[in-house]
Amino acid sequence: MGTLVSLLLLGLMWGGVYLLMAQGLNLIYGVMRVVNLAHGDLIVMGGLIAFSLFHHAGLSPLLALAPVFALLFVLGLLIAAGVLERIEEEGPRGELRTLFATFGLSYLLANTSFLIWGGQFQSIPFLQGALVLGPLTLPEGLAAASAAAFALALLLHLFLERTLTGKTIRAVAQSPLGAAASGIAVRWVRVFTFALGTALAGAAGALVICLVPFQSASGPDLTVQSFTLVALGGLGNMLGAWLAAELLGLIEVFAQYTLGPDAATAAFYLLFILFLIVRPQGLLGQAGRV
Amino acid sequence: MRRRSLAILAGASALVSAFPGAGRKARAEEPPIRIGCSITQTGPYAAPAIFELQGYQLAVEEVNRGGGLLGRRVEIVVYDDQGNPSTAVQLYQKLIYSDKVDLLLSPYETDLMSAVAPIVTRARIVMPSLGANVDAFQGQYPYLIQAITQTPRYMVPFVDLAATRGYKTIALLIQNTQFPQELAQGIEAEAKARGMSIVFRATYPPTTTDFSALVLKAAAAQPDVIIGATYLADAEGIVRAAKAQNIQAKMFAFSIGPVEPEFGSALGPAAEGILGTTLYFPTLHTKGNEAFVAAFTAKFGRAPDYHAAVAYASLKVLAAAVAKVGKLDQDAIRDALLHMETDTVAGHFALSPTGLQIGYTSYVLQWQKGKQELVWPADQATAPLIDPHPAW
Repeated sequence: MGTLVSLLLLGLMWGGVYLLMAQGLNLIYGVMRVVNLAHGDLIVMGGLIAFSLFHHAGLSPLLALAPVFALLFVLGLLIAAGVLERIEEEGPRGELRTLFATFGLSYLLANTSFLIWGGQFQSIPFLQGALVLGPLTLPEGLAAASAAAFALALLLHLFLERTLTGKTIRAVAQSPLGAAASGIAVRWVRVFTFALGTALAGAAGALVICLVPFQSASGPDLTVQSFTLVALGGLGNMLGAWLAAELLGLIEVFAQYTLGPDAATAAFYLLFILFLIVRPQGLLGQAGRV
Repeated sequence: MRRRSLAILAGASALVSAFPGAGRKARAEEPPIRIGCSITQTGPYAAPAIFELQGYQLAVEEVNRGGGLLGRRVEIVVYDDQGNPSTAVQLYQKLIYSDKVDLLLSPYETDLMSAVAPIVTRARIVMPSLGANVDAFQGQYPYLIQAITQTPRYMVPFVDLAATRGYKTIALLIQNTQFPQELAQGIEAEAKARGMSIVFRATYPPTTTDFSALVLKAAAAQPDVIIGATYLADAEGIVRAAKAQNIQAKMFAFSIGPVEPEFGSALGPAAEGILGTTLYFPTLHTKGNEAFVAAFTAKFGRAPDYHAAVAYASLKVLAAAVAKVGKLDQDAIRDALLHMETDTVAGHFALSPTGLQIGYTSYVLQWQKGKQELVWPADQATAPLIDPHPAW
């Protein structure tokens, strides 16, 4: 019984971590319709910046969140305004062109990280202890990261629902044409959203590098995982992505315990393939985006 | 995802370093003996390979200072393979058929060595090889001889240590890739020979990042020792999961992981007491090691690691075989190597009839107060073993 509860909580907490990593990608897709293949590399870069701030300036990853968020926000502005918004999106190959651009960015970012941090795995020793709650022993770092994930998700939700900027973003997501007709500067909203998504990716990296070591080449695996969650949730759907992330966390933990780790990864992706066949729009694909 | 493809079109940025004759005794009128190799000098895999190149460079310098080889000066012809196996193949083709080098050395690591194995064999040139896998040395490539500890032996000294301390049961966690799998077979064979039993065994894919459930399950079997046949990231993941869930065992040991300095910086206090394997340590009492460490540190400004040591030793062994044969006859050099038993900075060098390394072994290190200390075998120890593993 104790084990069962432990596994349940572990799965839910890892789900939070996966959500943390997928959130930025989801936001960017929801608003810009850009499949950002550089997403994982941005997470890794955020993590490695936090690593440097920890080892060279003694800054704890929680305090590093602010500078990492700011740095990645600026990087996102540059990428969106300098590259993505300059690509002709009209026509049959429009989406393919931005896809290629982000694919190229992925290489550029990964190799920049390599030049700065080298190829070795890096990580931060932070909150490594055990959290003892009665009969349960839970990883405190994992608990902290997933709590941060849920807090960030809530903040993002409130931002999108309650603020004017958030409403503007949702307007652009729902209908760029309608938004433009109402006097919204669609292009700048898209640039801002991309920067926000990039900053969220960086913040996720700063927290996750305390749990999972990153190397400069770790990005593409994270992109695939995040994109799977976003697709399973229903592209651009926040609640859907959260459900998908929890599903991944739970399946992974339970399958790892019962079937063994080799089967655990397969189990989730089999489910994903099944979903693509019977419900291609994802878990909550029909409910409105963002 | 490996990004070796980047390098394919980039071409071979050739970096040829020659060593002007330091040895006055070498006869100037004869052309130098040229030893060729490719080394990963740029890209994600460059760091260990550059240690290897420096090991070769130091060995060549010493050979020349001692009068060269067969009375001729020795020089290295090096190209940068950028960690790309197909680039390495092209470069070895160039070394063999266009540069027509006299002798060959090995690239690092196993997949590069395996990639060039067929063309080296076809050209019938001996190559002391820095690949730890067993399958390349079963007779298929008769001109390759293994100049690094074979994989199944990586953790044999650790099993010996655990058995000596009276531990009986093992939980074995194995990354589902070739090197850790082969390594685990060595652990299992040795454990059986020492009367220890494997009470839990699981493999996991290399992409695994969450080890919490796996470690919980391993702990449920109540093993004395938890062993990971791992690389760096997964070793850290397992230690993290064990500490964060208060999992206790008498010993935690990993194949690759603790040997890397990043293991300490990533885990901080959690690294304390964790055991690992290394093939070399600067303090080893092996033949000529003290002088080697001093010369290497003086030349390159850092202590040698095991890549440097095995590379240095492999060139020294090759030179000794050539000197013994007295001419550049590849078949005779190979036979001389196969029958040569010698002591090097990296340990006792001896080969099976098919070229498998049966002399070199490994050593057990332990993280103590933020530093790596050698703890086993006892005659090589730099600090007493901390045993059992203290509570987290």
